[in-house]
Amino acid sequence: MAKDMTLLWGSGSPPCWRIMIVLEEKNLQGYNQKLLSFEKGEHKSKEVMEINPRGQLPAFKCGDVPLNESCAACFHLECKYKSQGTKLIPDCEDEKAQILQRVFEVNALTEKSSIVLYYNWIVPEGERHDSAVKRNKEALTAELKLWEGYLQKASSGFIVGKDFSLADVIVYPTVAYLFQNGLSEQRYPKLAEYYKGLMNRPSIKASWPPTWKNAPKQETLKDI
Amino acid sequence: MAKDMTLLWGTGSPPCWRVMIALEEKNLQGYNQKLLSFDKMEHKSQQVLDINPRGQLPTFKHGDNVINESYAVCFYLESQFKSQGTKLIPDGPAEQALMYQRMFEGLTFYEKLSAVVFYEWSVPEGERHESALKRNKEALVTELKLWEGYLQKLGSGSYLAGPSFTLADVVVFPTVGTVFGFGLSPERYPKLGEYYNLLKERPSVKASWPPHWLENPKDQDRLKDALKDI
Repeated sequence: MAKDMTLLWGSGSPPCWRIMIVLEEKNLQGYNQKLLSFEKGEHKSKEVMEINPRGQLPAFKCGDVPLNESCAACFHLECKYKSQGTKLIPDCEDEKAQILQRVFEVNALTEKSSIVLYYNWIVPEGERHDSAVKRNKEALTAELKLWEGYLQKASSGFIVGKDFSLADVIVYPTVAYLFQNGLSEQRYPKLAEYYKGLMNRPSIKASWPPTWKNAPKQETLKDI
Repeated sequence: MAKDMTLLWGTGSPPCWRVMIALEEKNLQGYNQKLLSFDKMEHKSQQVLDINPRGQLPTFKHGDNVINESYAVCFYLESQFKSQGTKLIPDGPAEQALMYQRMFEGLTFYEKLSAVVFYEWSVPEGERHESALKRNKEALVTELKLWEGYLQKLGSGSYLAGPSFTLADVVVFPTVGTVFGFGLSPERYPKLGEYYNLLKERPSVKASWPPHWLENPKDQDRLKDALKDI
């Protein structure tokens, strides 16, 4: 049960946040957890490496089994605890297909936003190009427009269908992260509506990144 | 059934290969399929864009359901056709958890592979650097060593999540097949070599083996040993 689970996490990390949302939704509060600091390099500490040889957060153990990839943990928890808490994957095959599609599309959104947010971190000085920066921004803009479009078609405040699903678990933290980094609510009104609409859902409120609560938003994405 | 399915695919694309392996494993041969050319930019053609606004392959339709992410298709097929063909998600919780973990690590594995073998396709000429390619190769080596370690721990003859073939193998083998297709040394990566030999004989893998790793014979010739020395 929850007492057999351990989560090592960092504040503001969408992958960590996804697992925390699922644990709340499946009524698995009471899991062992430890907040670590990326800045202090604690994600490379021995206690993390023992669970996750990649030295990344989240580092999550369900009993003896490490599930360090956030989607892996989410899928596994939904399967194992199918009969408790919120049903995150519906039985209807058509809706399931849509949910699966959106879950895996989040990768593209994460990649395109990371290369813009962290360009100078990822690319050494001698390899940086203005043409690349420009292209990355254009790619992110195109990606965001796709998601605006998906939410335009969505009717109930969830990314797929009429209920909160695994797709929201995976998508929401990434969307929130973008707004935390200055994404314009005027330019992306549907994304902003989605972001605000789910803010007070109990599982999301309970797991809201602590370092965001009193911190001003970053501005990195304000011109996208 | 298979006749209500359409797959648009390209040769040498691990994501396309994943879907084809899954279709074979679930006894869904006879699906409609069309081989498109990346070189001729057919993945950006209207017929693809109509189904997949991202202009990417694979693009998959089953009746009215459109699924363009290879992992999503694999999960979908296993769910819809659970009672036929190979059981791809094991019941045992520990094996299932390991399957999920390896599947999602498989995304990282594929990224690191792409950053090396598809470098020229993702980075415009004026932005390429030897230093970047070198760094990408080092990252791929680190990743390969991780997978060597995973296979070492499980022992000979094992699949990625344990004794049975699972979705983890469906989605990760195409990446492994591709690394050896580009000249990776089985002497330097014996466990991966063993895994490759085990799976290359599997009917679903054989039936869907890519016609070419790279479409253009000149590219193929130039890059066929890209991974020989890593």
